[in-house]
Amino acid sequence: MAAQPKTLEYEYPNYLQDPRGIWSWLTTIDHKRIAILYGVSALFFMMVGGLEAMLIRAQLMVPNNHLIGAAIYNELFTMHGTTMIFLVVMPLELGFFANFMIPLHIGARDVAFPRLNALSYWVFIAGAIFLHLGLVRSLAGMPDAGWFGYANLTERMYSPGINIDTWVLGLLILGVSTLLSGLNFFVTIVNMRAPGMTFMRMPMFMWAMLVTTILILLAFPALTVGLVFLFADRFLDTHFYRVSAGATPILWQHLFWIFGHPEVYIMALPAFGIISEVITPFSRKPLFGYPMMAYSLVLIAFLSYGVWGHHMFATGMGPIADSTFAITTMLIAIPTGIKIFSWIATVWGGRLRFTTAMLFTLGFIVEFTAGGLSGVMHASPPVDLQQTDSYIVVAHFHYVLFGGMMMGILAGFYYWWPKITGRMLNETIGKWQFWITLWAFNGTFFPMHFLGVLGMPRRIYTYAPNMGWDFWNYFESINAFILGFAFLLFFINLVWSTLHGEHSSADPWDGRTLEWSIPSPPPAFNFVTIPMVTARDAFWVRKYGSVGAHGVAPAISGGAAAAPVGAPAEVHEHIHMPAPSIYPLIFGLGLFMAALGCMIWIRLILIGGALILMSILGMVFEYPTFGQFNPEALAESTLGLDNRKLGMWAFLGSECVFFASLISTYMVYKDRNLGGFDAMILNIPLTSFSTFILLTSSLLMVLALAAVQRDDRKWGAIWLFGTAFFGMIFLGGQAYEFTDFVLQGLKIQTNLFGQTFYTLVGFHGIHVLIGVCWLLVLAFTTAAGKIGKDRSLAVEIGGLYWHFVDIVWVVIFTLIYLMRTVKHA
Amino acid sequence: MSDHAIKNPHIEAHAVAHEEHPGPGVYLLVAAILTVLTAAEITVFYVPGLQPVLVPILLVLAAVKFAFVAGFYMHLYYDSKVFTIFFGFPLLLALLIVLGLLLLFAHLQGVLSFTIP
Repeated sequence: MAAQPKTLEYEYPNYLQDPRGIWSWLTTIDHKRIAILYGVSALFFMMVGGLEAMLIRAQLMVPNNHLIGAAIYNELFTMHGTTMIFLVVMPLELGFFANFMIPLHIGARDVAFPRLNALSYWVFIAGAIFLHLGLVRSLAGMPDAGWFGYANLTERMYSPGINIDTWVLGLLILGVSTLLSGLNFFVTIVNMRAPGMTFMRMPMFMWAMLVTTILILLAFPALTVGLVFLFADRFLDTHFYRVSAGATPILWQHLFWIFGHPEVYIMALPAFGIISEVITPFSRKPLFGYPMMAYSLVLIAFLSYGVWGHHMFATGMGPIADSTFAITTMLIAIPTGIKIFSWIATVWGGRLRFTTAMLFTLGFIVEFTAGGLSGVMHASPPVDLQQTDSYIVVAHFHYVLFGGMMMGILAGFYYWWPKITGRMLNETIGKWQFWITLWAFNGTFFPMHFLGVLGMPRRIYTYAPNMGWDFWNYFESINAFILGFAFLLFFINLVWSTLHGEHSSADPWDGRTLEWSIPSPPPAFNFVTIPMVTARDAFWVRKYGSVGAHGVAPAISGGAAAAPVGAPAEVHEHIHMPAPSIYPLIFGLGLFMAALGCMIWIRLILIGGALILMSILGMVFEYPTFGQFNPEALAESTLGLDNRKLGMWAFLGSECVFFASLISTYMVYKDRNLGGFDAMILNIPLTSFSTFILLTSSLLMVLALAAVQRDDRKWGAIWLFGTAFFGMIFLGGQAYEFTDFVLQGLKIQTNLFGQTFYTLVGFHGIHVLIGVCWLLVLAFTTAAGKIGKDRSLAVEIGGLYWHFVDIVWVVIFTLIYLMRTVKHA
Repeated sequence: MSDHAIKNPHIEAHAVAHEEHPGPGVYLLVAAILTVLTAAEITVFYVPGLQPVLVPILLVLAAVKFAFVAGFYMHLYYDSKVFTIFFGFPLLLALLIVLGLLLLFAHLQGVLSFTIP
């Protein structure tokens, strides 16, 4: 360990000490405490997912085994995948590490939207519990259709129990949580960086998280749409994925993998970021090829949207589509290779310190590279066709997800635990854990390559003897149990070290980034004074006082000279942190009840809805600066832009993909309609009138904004009421149109046209309805004199949403109504 | 959040500049243009002679309307270009997703056939 730097001992309590009590944790909006909540929850689910994995291996240990049976085996592999992805890897990377580290890395006191951060957590908990409702056996067991939930296995006809309902609704809830986190972190990184921290001075973990949040914002909407269709099929008897109705289950695969492949990088990129941070202090060198590392992240993210088809080679997309997806998939190997070579070059020639964190980092590089190489192999369609659904695929994705992501996560634990808890994790136990993990991981998953080549398919609960699979399955299972033991060591280490471990200084690793400049654990407000960043590796430069070429701190070995961060204790008195709030928890509870109501008792939906509404209004009005222009915050922001406005634009960007998925479905199903009602039923004169009404409402909205901006509250309120009124006229027209269609016999279940039309136009209508409610709140508040020039931002943000609803309608009116006669859309 | 803001005069001036939105006159002019464009769309729909070019005309008109609302009512034309990037990239991605799915399904249905020479 490096010579310990002189650290500043703050006179204030750290974030764990003050405030105390369970209530303070239930109402916390401190990003560090929320990170702890995420971490504890995810570690709990890691145990659950790990036990599921070991039960799977126990079942496969010997041929013709009936230890748990086929039905429970299906539930186990479904929930193992779902749990590990949505309840372990993502919450640990995003909820735990990113939540804790983003503000510390960029020199901020919290995330952009602290209440939203807490809300994301409680919604996550609601979704996680919901996914496990099937543990109550009377509710028909756990989901059992795979983490990918392929249609039409998930249709009510083939999965009549409510176990798939819990999966659909659970994932929808978790999607909300992830989207909100993504939006929050995106705005935080873009607009809350400390002065001087340009994009090219950000720690690489911040680059990774920035790109990850973009992936989240633009990938999850496709999954949401796919799940909404599945929900409709199961609850409303529609046929989005039913071949007999003219539809195709291939649509699910497209929507799922448009989300699913970026999802792989949503899990991979944070791990890339973590090891990029860990590798530098333990190599005593700056990160090699920083700019290319950053650009590679961006390129990986961009390409990840164009590779979803490689999961679908076996569906028969045709040679052009197969070739396109094969090429884009192989192209991804280039930026990924740049990263791998950069990590190796960082280590090369360095003065290495083989701490546990470094060992896991090196383990990551080796194992992830192995997984990546087999990935390139799958990118070739003819090869993939031989490997699809065999154990070689299971080997591949475990090398990526465990050998890559989990190793990265473990490296992060050993690296940042001292900062998070103020205690060092035990290095001896850690090194034992690493070597056992390395052995057992390869022992468990490497032979799966052989089993795949020998023809063993995935997802079979047992197999006949003498297929040539017996030995390797036995070998894998033994190693899986050893792997479980390695994780037992990890949990013991976490608990023991947190209670009895060596106290950590502020900078135990001689770190390079800003989090090491503040005490371990940090105070609630993180930084006494917002740091001024003058170079990449900001803390290193402050410690050693020089900036090398291109702003990179030179590699200097030896101990730190001094930790320079300091300020008079009385400064603390002037730092105002947002107050805690119980409403995020109430929101999560409401969402849980509303989802439960869909399955067992419909009145719960109303109760849940009321709780959600109450919590939203509570959060809006408890916030003292609601919509208020804050020149100080604006001056502090990196881009000189308001976080709330940035957040709204990021949200609208996400909505683009949501509506694109809905519109695509309408258009691809337009010609697959099996007869009966079609687009010719659409009432053009009525809709033309509605279109004029909606466009006019947008005019009234900007007039309202102009009035409020000149502090004319009377006309501001009048125009806002007018906008809401025109919105209601539009909704009335839509209600008339829908009623007329239903009376003519066109229901949502009638045919493909009915279901795609009602879903698309209905979702737009829901957006209009939300907009009208929002406008009425704004109008009444303005009429009461609460919104004037100083709070015009509230009207501007509401207006952005309203205009977006308007431009979506511009597209719908053209593509759905005016092009109703166009075939082969 | 903090009482120790590090003031950046450049940023403050920058931020104030973004508050300069157009007045009601511009909004009314845009509304008039949107009305005319919508009327043109409906007209094109009802004129039999324009049916062969219905799709391109409607797509262009819709794109222009979209641009006017986004540019003037949502102030992208006046505000920071950051917002345009935030909205433009997802919009491009959304268009590519629509296009990609249309092509893939067109091939699936045999409407569009690809052959490798």
